[in-house]
Amino acid sequence: MTIRHHIADDTLMAYVGGTLAPSLSVAVATHLAICPRCRDSVAMMEEVASLYLEETEPLSHSEKDKDAALLDQIMATPRTETAEQGAVSSLAGPAIGSVPRPLADYMPVPLDQVPWKRLVPGISHYPLPQPGGKRKGSALRLLKIAPGTRIPEHSHSGQELTLILEGSYIDEIGRFQKGDIADLDNEIHHQPVADTDQDCICLIATDGPLKFSGIFSRLLQPIIGI
Amino acid sequence: MLREFHYMTPPEGISGKTETPQEKQGGLSADLCELGATGSRDAFARIFAEMAPRLRAFMLKNGLGASAAEEVLQETLLRVWRKAHLFDPEKSSASTWIHTIARNVKIDRLRKEARPEPDPEDPSFIPAAPETGEENMARKQDSALIRKAMSVLPPEQLRIITMSFYEEKSHGEIAEELGVPLGTVKSRIRLAFGKIRAEVEKMQ
Repeated sequence: MTIRHHIADDTLMAYVGGTLAPSLSVAVATHLAICPRCRDSVAMMEEVASLYLEETEPLSHSEKDKDAALLDQIMATPRTETAEQGAVSSLAGPAIGSVPRPLADYMPVPLDQVPWKRLVPGISHYPLPQPGGKRKGSALRLLKIAPGTRIPEHSHSGQELTLILEGSYIDEIGRFQKGDIADLDNEIHHQPVADTDQDCICLIATDGPLKFSGIFSRLLQPIIGI
Repeated sequence: MLREFHYMTPPEGISGKTETPQEKQGGLSADLCELGATGSRDAFARIFAEMAPRLRAFMLKNGLGASAAEEVLQETLLRVWRKAHLFDPEKSSASTWIHTIARNVKIDRLRKEARPEPDPEDPSFIPAAPETGEENMARKQDSALIRKAMSVLPPEQLRIITMSFYEEKSHGEIAEELGVPLGTVKSRIRLAFGKIRAEVEKMQ
Protein backbone atom coordinates (compact mmCIF):
# COMPACT_ATOMS: atom_id res chain seq x y z
CA MET A 1 0.00 0.00 0.00
CA THR A 2 1.49 3.31 -1.07
CA ILE A 3 -0.17 6.21 0.68
CA ARG A 4 -0.25 9.43 -1.31
CA HIS A 5 -2.77 11.54 0.57
CA HIS A 6 -2.02 12.34 4.20
CA ILE A 7 -3.57 14.15 7.14
CA ALA A 8 -3.04 17.93 7.18
CA ASP A 9 -0.77 19.24 9.96
CA ASP A 10 -3.50 21.38 11.52
CA THR A 11 -5.69 18.27 11.94
CA LEU A 12 -2.79 16.25 13.36
CA MET A 13 -2.02 19.07 15.77
CA ALA A 14 -5.61 19.14 17.05
CA TYR A 15 -5.42 15.34 17.45
CA VAL A 16 -2.17 15.59 19.42
CA GLY A 17 -3.58 18.37 21.59
CA GLY A 18 -6.81 16.49 22.24
CA THR A 19 -9.05 19.18 20.77
CA LEU A 20 -10.12 17.27 17.62
CA ALA A 21 -13.75 16.06 17.53
CA PRO A 22 -14.00 12.40 18.65
CA SER A 23 -15.44 11.24 15.30
CA LEU A 24 -12.52 12.85 13.42
CA SER A 25 -10.06 11.35 15.91
CA VAL A 26 -11.22 7.84 15.00
CA ALA A 27 -10.41 8.49 11.31
CA VAL A 28 -7.04 10.05 12.23
CA ALA A 29 -6.03 7.15 14.49
CA THR A 30 -7.10 4.61 11.84
CA HIS A 31 -4.93 6.31 9.22
CA LEU A 32 -2.03 6.61 11.70
CA ALA A 33 -2.12 2.83 12.20
CA ILE A 34 -1.21 2.33 8.55
CA CYS A 35 0.86 5.48 7.83
CA PRO A 36 4.39 5.69 9.29
CA ARG A 37 4.86 9.13 7.74
CA CYS A 38 1.93 10.68 9.61
CA ARG A 39 3.10 8.90 12.79
CA ASP A 40 6.46 10.68 12.33
CA SER A 41 4.61 14.00 12.15
CA VAL A 42 2.73 13.15 15.35
CA ALA A 43 6.04 12.30 17.06
CA MET A 44 7.47 15.65 15.95
CA MET A 45 4.43 17.52 17.30
CA GLU A 46 4.66 15.64 20.60
CA GLU A 47 8.27 16.83 20.91
CA VAL A 48 7.12 20.39 20.24
CA ALA A 49 4.35 20.07 22.83
CA SER A 50 6.74 18.71 25.42
CA LEU A 51 9.06 21.72 25.07
CA TYR A 52 6.32 23.64 26.85
CA LEU A 53 6.36 21.16 29.71
CA GLU A 54 10.12 21.47 29.99
CA GLU A 55 9.67 25.20 30.35
CA THR A 56 7.02 25.00 33.03
CA GLU A 57 8.49 26.05 36.37
CA PRO A 58 7.51 23.88 39.35
CA LEU A 59 5.19 25.53 41.87
CA SER A 60 6.91 27.85 44.30
CA HIS A 61 5.78 25.83 47.31
CA SER A 62 7.02 22.28 47.28
CA GLU A 63 4.68 19.36 47.86
CA LYS A 64 7.22 17.11 49.58
CA ASP A 65 4.80 15.20 51.84
CA LYS A 66 2.31 14.64 49.06
CA ASP A 67 5.11 13.52 46.75
CA ALA A 68 6.63 11.09 49.26
CA ALA A 69 3.22 9.48 49.85
CA LEU A 70 2.51 9.26 46.12
CA LEU A 71 5.93 7.78 45.37
CA ASP A 72 5.40 5.04 48.00
CA GLN A 73 1.90 4.34 46.77
CA ILE A 74 3.02 3.91 43.16
CA MET A 75 6.02 1.75 43.98
CA ALA A 76 3.77 -0.52 46.05
CA THR A 77 1.89 -1.32 42.82
CA PRO A 78 3.14 -4.40 40.94
CA ARG A 79 4.83 -3.50 37.68
CA THR A 80 3.37 -6.45 35.76
CA GLU A 81 0.44 -5.43 33.63
CA THR A 82 -1.70 -8.58 33.64
CA ALA A 83 -4.94 -6.97 34.83
CA GLU A 84 -4.72 -4.12 32.36
CA GLN A 85 -3.82 -6.35 29.43
CA GLY A 86 -6.92 -8.45 30.14
CA ALA A 87 -9.06 -5.33 30.09
CA VAL A 88 -7.62 -4.23 26.75
CA SER A 89 -8.27 -7.51 24.95
CA SER A 90 -11.86 -7.67 26.16
CA LEU A 91 -12.41 -4.30 24.49
CA ALA A 92 -11.38 -5.66 21.12
CA GLY A 93 -14.42 -5.85 18.87
CA PRO A 94 -15.21 -8.86 16.68
CA ALA A 95 -14.03 -6.90 13.66
CA ILE A 96 -10.38 -6.87 14.65
CA GLY A 97 -8.02 -7.84 11.86
CA SER A 98 -10.20 -6.71 8.97
CA VAL A 99 -9.65 -2.99 9.60
CA PRO A 100 -7.14 -1.21 11.85
CA ARG A 101 -7.89 -1.37 15.55
CA PRO A 102 -9.01 2.24 16.14
CA LEU A 103 -11.87 1.71 13.65
CA ALA A 104 -12.51 -1.93 14.59
CA ASP A 105 -13.32 -0.75 18.12
CA TYR A 106 -16.32 1.12 16.67
CA MET A 107 -17.49 -1.59 14.24
CA PRO A 108 -20.18 -3.94 15.53
CA VAL A 109 -19.48 -6.37 12.63
CA PRO A 110 -16.50 -7.12 10.35
CA LEU A 111 -16.24 -5.09 7.16
CA ASP A 112 -17.35 -7.97 4.90
CA GLN A 113 -20.53 -8.48 6.97
CA VAL A 114 -21.71 -4.89 7.13
CA PRO A 115 -25.53 -4.67 6.59
CA TRP A 116 -25.37 -1.85 4.01
CA LYS A 117 -28.37 0.47 3.72
CA ARG A 118 -29.03 1.71 0.22
CA LEU A 119 -29.36 5.47 -0.13
CA VAL A 120 -29.69 5.81 -3.91
CA PRO A 121 -28.70 3.43 -6.69
CA GLY A 122 -24.97 2.75 -6.37
CA ILE A 123 -24.53 4.37 -2.97
CA SER A 124 -25.08 2.70 0.38
CA HIS A 125 -24.01 3.55 3.86
CA TYR A 126 -23.71 2.19 7.38
CA PRO A 127 -23.73 4.61 10.31
CA LEU A 128 -21.34 3.72 13.14
CA PRO A 129 -21.86 4.44 16.82
CA GLN A 130 -20.87 7.99 17.77
CA PRO A 131 -17.60 8.10 19.64
CA GLY A 132 -17.92 10.23 22.75
CA GLY A 133 -21.72 10.41 22.53
CA LYS A 134 -24.00 12.30 20.12
CA ARG A 135 -22.83 15.73 18.99
CA LYS A 136 -24.63 18.00 16.60
CA GLY A 137 -23.43 17.55 13.04
CA SER A 138 -20.78 15.05 14.08
CA ALA A 139 -20.95 11.61 12.49
CA LEU A 140 -18.96 8.51 11.72
CA ARG A 141 -20.13 6.29 8.87
CA LEU A 142 -19.04 3.85 6.22
CA LEU A 143 -19.96 4.64 2.64
CA LYS A 144 -19.97 2.18 -0.26
CA ILE A 145 -19.85 3.54 -3.80
CA ALA A 146 -20.46 1.17 -6.70
CA PRO A 147 -18.02 1.32 -9.67
CA GLY A 148 -18.68 4.34 -11.87
CA THR A 149 -21.08 5.96 -9.43
CA ARG A 150 -20.66 9.67 -8.80
CA ILE A 151 -21.43 11.29 -5.44
CA PRO A 152 -23.46 14.47 -6.03
CA GLU A 153 -21.34 17.61 -5.80
CA HIS A 154 -21.21 18.90 -2.27
CA SER A 155 -19.20 20.98 0.15
CA HIS A 156 -18.88 20.82 3.92
CA SER A 157 -20.02 23.08 6.71
CA GLY A 158 -17.38 21.65 9.02
CA GLN A 159 -14.42 19.37 8.57
CA GLU A 160 -14.63 16.00 6.85
CA LEU A 161 -12.09 13.18 6.81
CA THR A 162 -12.51 10.39 4.26
CA LEU A 163 -10.31 7.33 4.64
CA ILE A 164 -10.32 4.79 1.80
CA LEU A 165 -10.69 1.24 3.13
CA GLU A 166 -11.24 -0.60 -0.19
CA GLY A 167 -11.17 0.40 -3.86
CA SER A 168 -10.56 3.97 -4.96
CA TYR A 169 -12.22 7.15 -6.11
CA ILE A 170 -11.21 10.17 -8.10
CA ASP A 171 -12.33 13.78 -7.66
CA GLU A 172 -11.19 17.35 -8.30
CA ILE A 173 -8.27 16.90 -5.89
CA GLY A 174 -6.87 13.63 -7.17
CA ARG A 175 -7.10 9.87 -7.00
CA PHE A 176 -7.63 8.33 -3.58
CA GLN A 177 -6.71 4.69 -3.03
CA LYS A 178 -6.71 2.28 -0.10
CA GLY A 179 -5.06 3.96 2.91
CA ASP A 180 -5.31 7.49 1.51
CA ILE A 181 -7.14 10.09 3.54
CA ALA A 182 -8.86 13.21 2.25
CA ASP A 183 -8.74 16.03 4.78
CA LEU A 184 -11.33 18.56 3.60
CA ASP A 185 -12.70 21.72 5.06
CA ASN A 186 -15.59 23.94 4.05
CA GLU A 187 -13.83 25.60 1.14
CA ILE A 188 -13.81 22.50 -1.02
CA HIS A 189 -16.57 21.47 -3.42
CA HIS A 190 -16.06 18.00 -4.79
CA GLN A 191 -17.80 15.27 -6.70
CA PRO A 192 -16.04 11.95 -6.10
CA VAL A 193 -16.55 9.02 -8.49
CA ALA A 194 -15.58 5.39 -7.85
CA ASP A 195 -13.14 4.80 -10.70
CA THR A 196 -12.37 1.07 -10.80
CA ASP A 197 -14.44 -2.09 -11.23
CA GLN A 198 -14.38 -2.55 -7.46
CA ASP A 199 -16.70 -1.02 -4.86
CA CYS A 200 -15.10 1.92 -3.10
CA ILE A 201 -15.58 1.62 0.65
CA CYS A 202 -14.59 4.55 2.82
CA LEU A 203 -14.84 5.73 6.36
CA ILE A 204 -16.29 9.22 6.59
CA ALA A 205 -15.93 11.29 9.73
CA THR A 206 -17.53 14.72 9.94
CA ASP A 207 -17.97 17.40 12.52
CA GLY A 208 -20.53 19.39 10.55
CA PRO A 209 -23.26 18.49 8.03
CA LEU A 210 -22.48 18.38 4.30
CA LYS A 211 -24.00 20.92 1.94
CA PHE A 212 -25.12 19.69 -1.46
CA SER A 213 -25.07 22.14 -4.35
CA GLY A 214 -27.64 20.99 -6.92
CA ILE A 215 -31.43 20.97 -6.50
CA PHE A 216 -31.60 17.21 -6.89
CA SER A 217 -28.80 16.88 -4.36
CA ARG A 218 -30.57 19.10 -1.86
CA LEU A 219 -33.57 16.78 -2.07
CA LEU A 220 -31.20 13.90 -1.37
CA GLN A 221 -29.62 15.43 1.69
CA PRO A 222 -32.35 14.57 4.21
CA ILE A 223 -32.20 10.96 3.02
CA ILE A 224 -28.45 10.68 3.27
CA GLY A 225 -28.46 12.76 6.39
CA ILE A 226 -24.84 13.78 5.99
CA MET B 1 0.48 38.78 29.57
CA LEU B 2 3.99 38.82 30.94
CA ARG B 3 4.06 35.06 31.12
CA GLU B 4 2.78 34.81 27.60
CA PHE B 5 5.56 37.08 26.44
CA HIS B 6 8.06 34.77 28.10
CA TYR B 7 6.73 31.84 26.09
CA MET B 8 6.75 33.91 22.97
CA THR B 9 10.52 34.24 23.12
CA PRO B 10 12.34 31.79 20.92
CA PRO B 11 12.44 28.51 22.86
CA GLU B 12 16.20 28.45 22.37
CA GLY B 13 16.71 31.47 24.56
CA ILE B 14 15.81 29.89 27.88
CA SER B 15 18.95 28.15 29.02
CA GLY B 16 20.44 29.97 31.97
CA LYS B 17 20.26 26.74 33.90
CA THR B 18 23.23 24.86 35.36
CA GLU B 19 22.24 21.72 33.51
CA THR B 20 21.56 21.91 29.79
CA PRO B 21 18.33 20.29 28.61
CA GLN B 22 20.42 17.72 26.76
CA GLU B 23 22.25 16.62 29.92
CA LYS B 24 19.03 16.43 31.84
CA GLN B 25 17.43 14.46 28.99
CA GLY B 26 20.32 12.02 28.98
CA GLY B 27 19.90 11.23 32.68
CA LEU B 28 16.13 10.95 32.42
CA SER B 29 16.38 8.71 29.38
CA ALA B 30 18.94 6.44 31.08
CA ASP B 31 16.76 6.21 34.20
CA LEU B 32 13.68 5.36 32.15
CA CYS B 33 15.59 2.61 30.28
CA GLU B 34 16.92 1.25 33.57
CA LEU B 35 13.44 1.24 35.09
CA GLY B 36 12.10 -0.60 32.05
CA ALA B 37 14.88 -3.20 32.06
CA THR B 38 15.32 -3.85 35.79
CA GLY B 39 12.40 -2.24 37.62
CA SER B 40 14.92 -0.15 39.59
CA ARG B 41 13.20 1.78 42.38
CA ASP B 42 16.07 4.25 42.55
CA ALA B 43 15.68 5.05 38.86
CA PHE B 44 11.95 5.60 39.35
CA ALA B 45 12.53 7.84 42.37
CA ARG B 46 14.86 10.02 40.27
CA ILE B 47 12.33 10.21 37.40
CA PHE B 48 9.65 11.08 39.93
CA ALA B 49 11.72 13.84 41.51
CA GLU B 50 12.50 15.30 38.09
CA MET B 51 9.04 15.11 36.56
CA ALA B 52 6.39 15.23 39.32
CA PRO B 53 6.73 18.92 40.32
CA ARG B 54 6.74 20.15 36.72
CA LEU B 55 3.87 17.88 35.71
CA ARG B 56 1.83 19.14 38.66
CA ALA B 57 2.48 22.76 37.73
CA PHE B 58 1.63 22.04 34.10
CA MET B 59 -1.64 20.30 35.03
CA LEU B 60 -2.71 23.12 37.35
CA LYS B 61 -2.00 26.03 35.03
CA ASN B 62 -5.03 25.69 32.73
CA GLY B 63 -7.74 25.49 35.32
CA LEU B 64 -7.67 21.78 36.10
CA GLY B 65 -8.72 21.69 39.78
CA ALA B 66 -6.19 20.64 42.41
CA SER B 67 -7.73 17.23 43.05
CA ALA B 68 -8.16 16.50 39.34
CA ALA B 69 -4.55 17.55 38.76
CA GLU B 70 -3.38 15.15 41.50
CA GLU B 71 -5.40 12.32 39.93
CA VAL B 72 -3.91 12.94 36.49
CA LEU B 73 -0.43 13.18 38.02
CA GLN B 74 -0.91 9.93 39.92
CA GLU B 75 -2.26 8.02 36.91
CA THR B 76 0.54 9.41 34.71
CA LEU B 77 3.34 8.40 37.07
CA LEU B 78 1.71 5.02 37.65
CA ARG B 79 1.75 4.41 33.90
CA VAL B 80 5.40 5.48 33.74
CA TRP B 81 6.18 3.00 36.54
CA ARG B 82 4.35 0.15 34.82
CA LYS B 83 5.05 0.85 31.17
CA ALA B 84 8.68 2.01 31.23
CA HIS B 85 9.66 -1.09 29.22
CA LEU B 86 7.70 0.37 26.29
CA PHE B 87 9.89 3.49 26.16
CA ASP B 88 12.15 3.53 23.08
CA PRO B 89 14.88 6.19 23.20
CA GLU B 90 15.23 5.85 19.41
CA LYS B 91 11.69 7.08 18.93
CA SER B 92 11.25 9.93 21.40
CA SER B 93 12.96 11.80 24.18
CA ALA B 94 12.17 10.73 27.74
CA SER B 95 10.33 13.87 28.76
CA THR B 96 8.25 13.78 25.58
CA TRP B 97 7.32 10.15 26.29
CA ILE B 98 6.18 11.04 29.81
CA HIS B 99 4.47 14.25 28.69
CA THR B 100 2.55 12.35 26.01
CA ILE B 101 1.29 9.91 28.65
CA ALA B 102 0.22 12.86 30.83
CA ARG B 103 -1.60 14.54 27.94
CA ASN B 104 -3.42 11.32 27.05
CA VAL B 105 -4.46 10.73 30.66
CA LYS B 106 -5.81 14.26 30.79
CA ILE B 107 -7.59 14.06 27.41
CA ASP B 108 -9.18 10.73 28.35
CA ARG B 109 -10.35 12.20 31.62
CA LEU B 110 -11.91 15.25 29.98
CA ARG B 111 -13.64 13.13 27.34
CA LYS B 112 -14.61 10.36 29.73
CA GLU B 113 -13.61 8.01 26.91
CA ALA B 114 -10.21 6.92 25.64
CA ARG B 115 -9.04 8.87 22.61
CA PRO B 116 -8.63 6.43 19.70
CA GLU B 117 -4.98 5.61 19.10
CA PRO B 118 -3.05 3.32 16.78
CA ASP B 119 -2.00 0.08 18.49
CA PRO B 120 1.37 -1.36 17.39
CA GLU B 121 0.14 -4.85 18.44
CA ASP B 122 -2.78 -4.63 15.99
CA PRO B 123 -2.29 -7.09 13.07
CA SER B 124 -3.36 -4.30 10.67
CA PHE B 125 -0.70 -1.91 12.00
CA ILE B 126 1.93 -1.06 9.38
CA PRO B 127 5.35 -0.47 10.96
CA ALA B 128 7.84 2.00 9.51
CA ALA B 129 10.30 0.62 6.98
CA PRO B 130 13.65 -0.26 8.59
CA GLU B 131 15.74 2.90 8.79
CA THR B 132 18.96 3.30 6.88
CA GLY B 133 22.19 3.77 8.85
CA GLU B 134 22.26 7.45 8.07
CA GLU B 135 18.78 8.12 9.40
CA ASN B 136 19.62 6.17 12.53
CA MET B 137 22.36 8.57 13.49
CA ALA B 138 20.02 11.41 14.28
CA ARG B 139 16.49 10.81 15.37
CA LYS B 140 14.05 12.76 13.21
CA GLN B 141 12.27 14.05 16.28
CA ASP B 142 15.40 15.18 18.12
CA SER B 143 14.13 17.71 20.64
CA ALA B 144 17.26 19.90 20.52
CA LEU B 145 16.89 20.25 16.74
CA ILE B 146 13.18 20.96 17.03
CA ARG B 147 13.84 23.59 19.69
CA LYS B 148 16.29 25.27 17.33
CA ALA B 149 13.93 24.97 14.36
CA MET B 150 11.14 26.65 16.33
CA SER B 151 13.32 29.69 16.90
CA VAL B 152 13.02 30.65 13.21
CA LEU B 153 9.20 30.74 13.28
CA PRO B 154 7.58 34.13 12.80
CA PRO B 155 5.82 35.33 15.99
CA GLU B 156 2.30 34.84 14.64
CA GLN B 157 3.02 31.17 13.92
CA LEU B 158 4.82 30.52 17.22
CA ARG B 159 1.93 32.19 19.03
CA ILE B 160 -0.58 29.69 17.63
CA ILE B 161 1.61 26.75 18.62
CA THR B 162 1.88 28.20 22.13
CA MET B 163 -1.89 28.70 22.32
CA SER B 164 -2.44 25.11 21.20
CA PHE B 165 0.12 23.26 23.28
CA TYR B 166 0.65 25.52 26.29
CA GLU B 167 -2.78 27.09 26.69
CA GLU B 168 -4.41 23.95 25.25
CA LYS B 169 -6.93 25.82 23.11
CA SER B 170 -8.81 24.47 20.11
CA HIS B 171 -8.35 26.01 16.64
CA GLY B 172 -11.81 27.57 16.98
CA GLU B 173 -10.95 29.19 20.31
CA ILE B 174 -7.67 30.50 18.88
CA ALA B 175 -9.44 32.00 15.86
CA GLU B 176 -11.93 33.73 18.13
CA GLU B 177 -9.28 35.07 20.49
CA LEU B 178 -7.06 36.40 17.71
CA GLY B 179 -10.01 37.65 15.67
CA VAL B 180 -8.88 35.83 12.51
CA PRO B 181 -10.76 33.29 10.36
CA LEU B 182 -10.40 29.61 11.25
CA GLY B 183 -8.75 29.06 7.86
CA THR B 184 -5.98 31.50 8.83
CA VAL B 185 -5.27 29.59 12.03
CA LYS B 186 -5.08 26.35 10.06
CA SER B 187 -2.84 27.75 7.36
CA ARG B 188 -0.45 29.27 9.96
CA ILE B 189 -0.18 25.86 11.62
CA ARG B 190 0.58 24.21 8.28
CA LEU B 191 3.22 26.83 7.51
CA ALA B 192 4.78 26.50 10.96
CA PHE B 193 5.18 22.73 10.86
CA GLY B 194 6.34 22.85 7.25
CA LYS B 195 9.07 25.24 8.38
CA ILE B 196 10.03 23.16 11.44
CA ARG B 197 10.34 20.06 9.24
CA ALA B 198 12.47 21.90 6.68
CA GLU B 199 14.76 23.38 9.38
CA VAL B 200 15.25 20.02 11.10
CA GLU B 201 16.13 18.42 7.76
CA LYS B 202 18.63 21.20 7.03
CA MET B 203 20.38 20.67 10.36
CA GLN B 204 20.72 16.89 10.00
